Amino acid sequence: MATNTYTPEEKAILRKIFFRSHRCFMMFSMAKMEANCFTMCMQPVIESLYPDDREEQGKSYLRHQAFFNTHTNPFTFIAGLTYAMEKERKAGKVDEATIDNVKAALMGPTAGMFDSFWFNAVRVISAGIAIGLCSQGNFLGTILFVLLYGVTQSVAKWYLLQAGYNLGTSFIDTVFNSGLVSVLTKCASVVGLTMVGAMTANMVNVPLNWVINTTGKEGGEVVVGNILNSIFPGLLGVILLFVLVGLIKKGYRPTQLIAGIFVLALVGALLGIF
Amino acid sequence: MVGAALKCALVYFVFVYLDDRWLGWQTITRPIVVAPITGLLLGDFKTGIIMGASLESIFMGISAIGGAVPADATSASIIAVAFTILNGASQEAGLAIAMPIGAVMSSFGALEMALVAAPLVPYWEKLAQEDMNKFCVQNYIFSAVYQLIPAAVMFIAVAYGVEGLNNFLNILPGWVMTGLNAASGMMTAIGFAILTSMIWDAEVGIFFFVGYVLAAYLHLDTLAIAILAVAVAITMFFNNKKLIDLKSELSAKGVENKGEEDFF
Repeated sequence: MATNTYTPEEKAILRKIFFRSHRCFMMFSMAKMEANCFTMCMQPVIESLYPDDREEQGKSYLRHQAFFNTHTNPFTFIAGLTYAMEKERKAGKVDEATIDNVKAALMGPTAGMFDSFWFNAVRVISAGIAIGLCSQGNFLGTILFVLLYGVTQSVAKWYLLQAGYNLGTSFIDTVFNSGLVSVLTKCASVVGLTMVGAMTANMVNVPLNWVINTTGKEGGEVVVGNILNSIFPGLLGVILLFVLVGLIKKGYRPTQLIAGIFVLALVGALLGIF
Repeated sequence: MVGAALKCALVYFVFVYLDDRWLGWQTITRPIVVAPITGLLLGDFKTGIIMGASLESIFMGISAIGGAVPADATSASIIAVAFTILNGASQEAGLAIAMPIGAVMSSFGALEMALVAAPLVPYWEKLAQEDMNKFCVQNYIFSAVYQLIPAAVMFIAVAYGVEGLNNFLNILPGWVMTGLNAASGMMTAIGFAILTSMIWDAEVGIFFFVGYVLAAYLHLDTLAIAILAVAVAITMFFNNKKLIDLKSELSAKGVENKGEEDFF
C-alpha cells in the first residue's frame, strides 16, 4: 500500500471517509438503503473540492443520495474510488454519469462476494472459536469474537478504501491521457445498466396474490401472478419500475412516489390483490 | 420484573444503536456478545456466557437476507438469558419464552421500516442539499429515536407480557399489515427508478434488459453477470478505440486524402 505518498489533505479526507463509513446503516430504508451514509462519506470530499460553491455542493450531495447498497467493507472501496472520480470530475476528466454508473455497477457484485466471505467464512470461523470457549464459561470467547469478526472488518475497510482511491486515481489518469474518456463513459453505462437490470430482477418485487375464480367451482381459479410471470418473470416489477422512471422524468417528487406506493399497496391489499 | 425489563431494554438499545448506526460490524448485536452482557447486568455472568454460546449456535444459521428474519436474534437472546437467570428456568424454557418476543420485535422492525424510514427519504434528500452538517447531526438523533421505539416495545414485552403486543398487532385488520409489507417491498422500486433515471442512456439502455434476463431467466449470480457485462464493455472499448485511432490517423493524413473524400 502506498500510504506515505498521500498529501496531508488526502490523508485527512481518507481518514474522515474511513470513520464515516462505519455509519453504514444510518437511517437505513428500503427505498435508499445505505445512501445516507454514502452522502456523509462524500461530505469531506465535496467540501474540499468546492469550498465556496454552495450550489455545486447541493447538486453533488443529491447525486450521492441515490440508492446504494453493498456489504460494509467494499463500501469503503467504492467510496475511495468515488473520491478519486469526484476529484477527476473537477479536473474535467470524467462526468457525473460515469460516477453514478461505476457506483451502480460495483455494488451488486461486491455485495455478493463480501457477504459470502464475511458471513459464511470469517463469521463462522470466529463464532466456532468463540462458542468453544464460551460454552466452558470463558468470557475470552466473546472478546475473541469481537476482535476476529468486528475489528478485522475495520482493518479491511481501511485498506479497501486506499485500494479504491489508488485504483481510481491511476486508472482515470491512464484513460484520460489516452483520450478515450468518452468511450469509457459509454462502457461504464453498459456495465452500470446491466447491473441495475440484474439487481432489479433480484430485488424489486410486486407481491401480487390475486386469484380470480370465474367458474365459482373448485379448480376454476386463475392465479393472475403466475400468468404474468409466465409471460415475463417479474413483469409487474419491471412495469412498476419504468412507470416510476417515467414519473420521475415528468418531475414528480419522491414524496409523491412514496405516498403513491403506500396508497397502491393499501388499496391493493384491501381489494385482496396483494 | 420492571427493573430487569429496563436492563434488558437498555442492553438492546445501546448495543443495537452502537453497532447498527456507528460501527456497522453486525458483531456486537450477536447472541455471543449480548448474552454475557445481559448475564453480567442481571448478576449471573457465567450463565450468560454459557447461554451466549448455545444461542449463537442456534442463530448462526439464521441471517438477515433480504430483510426478512423469523426472529430478531438480539432481543430473543437478551430475553432468553433474563428469563433463565430470573426464574431459574432451564435454557430451553427461557428460549421458548424469548422466541415469540423475538418474532414480535421482528414484525415491529418491519413495520417501523415501512412507516418511519421510507417516508423520511425525501426529507433527507432535501436536507442534504441544504445543510450537510445538519444532515449528519439529524441522522444521529433520528437513528437514536428510531431505535428507542423497538427498545420500548421490548421493555413492554418483558415487563407486561407479549400477549398485549400480539393483541395490538391483531387489532390492525389483516389487510393493513399485508398492505404495509407490500409497500415496503415496492419501496425498493423507487430507489432503483431514481438510479435508473440517473444513469439511463438511450444508446445502451437495452443492456438493462440483458442484465434483467441474465438474473431472472438464468438465475446467474451478480458476479457472473458483472463479468459478462465487463467483457462486453471491454470489447466495445477496444472497438471504439480502433475507430478513434483510425479517425485520428485519417485526419493526420487529411490533406492527402482530400480527393478521396469526394469519392465516398
